[in-house]
Amino acid sequence: MTITLDRRKFLQRIYQVVLAAGAAPLLSFEELLAAEANPSSVGWSRPDLVWLQGASCSGCSTSFLNVEQITILDFLTYFSRVLYHPNLSSATGTQVPQILNKLAAANKPYILILEGAIPVAMPHACMMAHKPISEWVNLLAAKASACIAVGTCAASGGVAKMAGTLTGAASLDDFLKQRGIKTPTVNLPACPMHPEHLVYTLLHFIKSKGLPDLDDARRPRQFFTHSVHERCPRYPAFQARDFALRIGEEGCLLELGCQGPVTYNDCVASGYNGNTNNCVRAGHPCIGCAGELFPRARLYHTHDDPAPAPGVIVKRS
Amino acid sequence: MTATKITVDPLTRVEGHLKFETRIENGVVASARTSGMLFRGIEKALIGYDPRTALQLTQRVCGVCPYAHAEAAALALENAMGIRPNANGQLLRNLIVGAYQVQDCLFHFYQLSALDFIDVTAVLEYRGADPGLTAMRDWVRAETRSQRIFPAAPFLPRYKGDFLKDREANLSAVHNYLESFTVMASLHKMVALFGGKSPHPVAIEAGGVTTRPTINNLAQYRTLLNQVERFVHSCYREDILAVAKAFPGYFKEGRGYGNFLSFPYFPDSSGKNHLFAGGATIVGRHTALDLNAITEDHTYSYYKNKSGAVKPLGANRLEPLDWQEFQREEQLPDGKYSWSRAPRYGGKVMETGAAARVVNTYHSGRNPALNRLVDQLNRDLGIGLKDYNSVLGRHLSRYITVSLLLKRLKEQVEQVQPGVLGFSEKEMPRNVKGIGITEASRGALGHWVEIDNKGLIKNYEMVMPTTWNMGPRDATGQPGAVEQMLIGTRIADPANPLELARIVRSADPCIACSVH
Repeated sequence: MTITLDRRKFLQRIYQVVLAAGAAPLLSFEELLAAEANPSSVGWSRPDLVWLQGASCSGCSTSFLNVEQITILDFLTYFSRVLYHPNLSSATGTQVPQILNKLAAANKPYILILEGAIPVAMPHACMMAHKPISEWVNLLAAKASACIAVGTCAASGGVAKMAGTLTGAASLDDFLKQRGIKTPTVNLPACPMHPEHLVYTLLHFIKSKGLPDLDDARRPRQFFTHSVHERCPRYPAFQARDFALRIGEEGCLLELGCQGPVTYNDCVASGYNGNTNNCVRAGHPCIGCAGELFPRARLYHTHDDPAPAPGVIVKRS
Repeated sequence: MTATKITVDPLTRVEGHLKFETRIENGVVASARTSGMLFRGIEKALIGYDPRTALQLTQRVCGVCPYAHAEAAALALENAMGIRPNANGQLLRNLIVGAYQVQDCLFHFYQLSALDFIDVTAVLEYRGADPGLTAMRDWVRAETRSQRIFPAAPFLPRYKGDFLKDREANLSAVHNYLESFTVMASLHKMVALFGGKSPHPVAIEAGGVTTRPTINNLAQYRTLLNQVERFVHSCYREDILAVAKAFPGYFKEGRGYGNFLSFPYFPDSSGKNHLFAGGATIVGRHTALDLNAITEDHTYSYYKNKSGAVKPLGANRLEPLDWQEFQREEQLPDGKYSWSRAPRYGGKVMETGAAARVVNTYHSGRNPALNRLVDQLNRDLGIGLKDYNSVLGRHLSRYITVSLLLKRLKEQVEQVQPGVLGFSEKEMPRNVKGIGITEASRGALGHWVEIDNKGLIKNYEMVMPTTWNMGPRDATGQPGAVEQMLIGTRIADPANPLELARIVRSADPCIACSVH
């Protein structure tokens, strides 16, 4: 049995998740305990969350369920209130638009989490409860305290926007700009999103009522300041100009099409699935899944392909 | 005669945007329409891309079953290249896809389906000391007494219905529901050990798997596998059987055409001798697989192109309807109603998925262990093979799949040679086609690739399990597989059509996959 009722232990886990995600502690463990003892004194309150899926694959939702340091039960019952999630909610059919409309009309604070892109050129490419998803995002984003774009599709378009698609998929930021909606946003790119990034962002919101420190692309600096390349375990090989020319060889993977230099994410440091592994450790070049250029028409090269000069960005065709 | 219409939009706890409509006459479903409401157009966008991107990008059509797309794409490219992975490459691929399929079956039962059968409010009466259940009880109690506008979300509101009556069975299932999150995370770790990460494992490539196996990661895999096994053989088995015994009527509900299609799945280290046999069972008769019999039709799908039965790679462009045309079709009584196309096998509608896998393998006689397990479950539950064509037959089949897979994974992890790379590569061929077939957790999955004279993708086609199941009518007007499953169902309360939700969810629809 892994579920615990011990709040001290629970808070310790929140603390660990922040540390595991490579983040500097936002609040001390003692502060967390104090917040638990007297929620109003330090502004502790569970945020209400509503999670929508646009043009998505549900991969970020699935990835979120892998969160370890906090149990899903604690997440649902103590850390936040999940008013709606397409894969978890019992609500079905007409109950769903009822919840969403009631929420929009209630004038209470909530956070909108969006997974997937928004097809702008073809609103009918993503429909829910008889309405284009763009209209649901418009309605709920306008009234939200903040929006969090989880995953590369919501953050920058991702595969929904890859060259050759017809739906005119927009990222959350681009969509809000088009609609003149000023709600603050946080982008958590990566395909899929790291669950720790979302927990950290929500924790920041709980503690400070505000967003974490963001870069120009509205990503938390905590996770997106360094490129994959800078922290790569094979970086010494790069410095020695020792390049792998085939899968399985030691050496830097640049000649195999590695996107590490142009991809900003902490995945080589914190790994995936509770730091079980990551792409480079698995012997595979970074495919740049957290980058704005993802996906390129070439993600992986072998020795007989024309290799780009290291660090050169190949534009999407 | 009274006629009503029930529309469920969205159907939650499935992957993606699914809507369905039924026409009810005298309390019984007379006709049904299932609609996939998401279109991204990734398949045809791949044209002009490096074929190796298909391994990564087709995974992104679905974040619930990405591993199956990676495998199908790898097999299609290997078929085009004329290569096979070495023994280690095949075994490592199996360790990735097998663990992932087990995760996906647990995800389907606990996260997506269980809340249709178990009563979460039973925790209110909990008197024991289990910390998870106590926490949940206190929370539900506080929530339901609060003045909140959405008390106890996301567990409430829900359709009213005939949930499991037995208090202990409910409590045990709620406990296992909570526990399953940890087990699923462990299975994703098993995937990540050789796949790099999960979802979207990166390390499956044409030619094998890029991760070099070590004693260390093999030992970690085996440790996690033991944990998963304990959960599956106690909790999952118990919950499946509790539901099966409490709702025996659901071995009769949700009957489709009884035509089952599955592809050979889970080979040994030589890439042959699959754990599950492929084939087609049509009205009880099992025949060998004929990939040439597969076509897709889009008469009732939101595309402009003229339809008819099109073979895979037979269309290199699908023109989606524009907004005006879409709205016009929505108004027509017999208009187009889904982004999904309608696959057919020799013109017939086929069900794919766990039940198809079990029924076809049983008939083939190629896996005596499967037949023994099926016979034993059938005796215990008082059912026969024909009852696998049902809501509970599909759930039971997932347990059978999981049980056999775990045993095989345990054997295969021992066969991996530490330190030996399971990967070889070959130059991208020109002007060639390839086919890759496997079983996603949701059923028969095929990828077809055509490579041009520059070594780039000339055309790509994915025919998905959910497209088979959730596809619309075809030019001849035949209802799709799930549409047929819904027809004839008696609805107790049209305001709470729980029966319909149970039927549709039993087919484990994945809309992002089916439309892509």
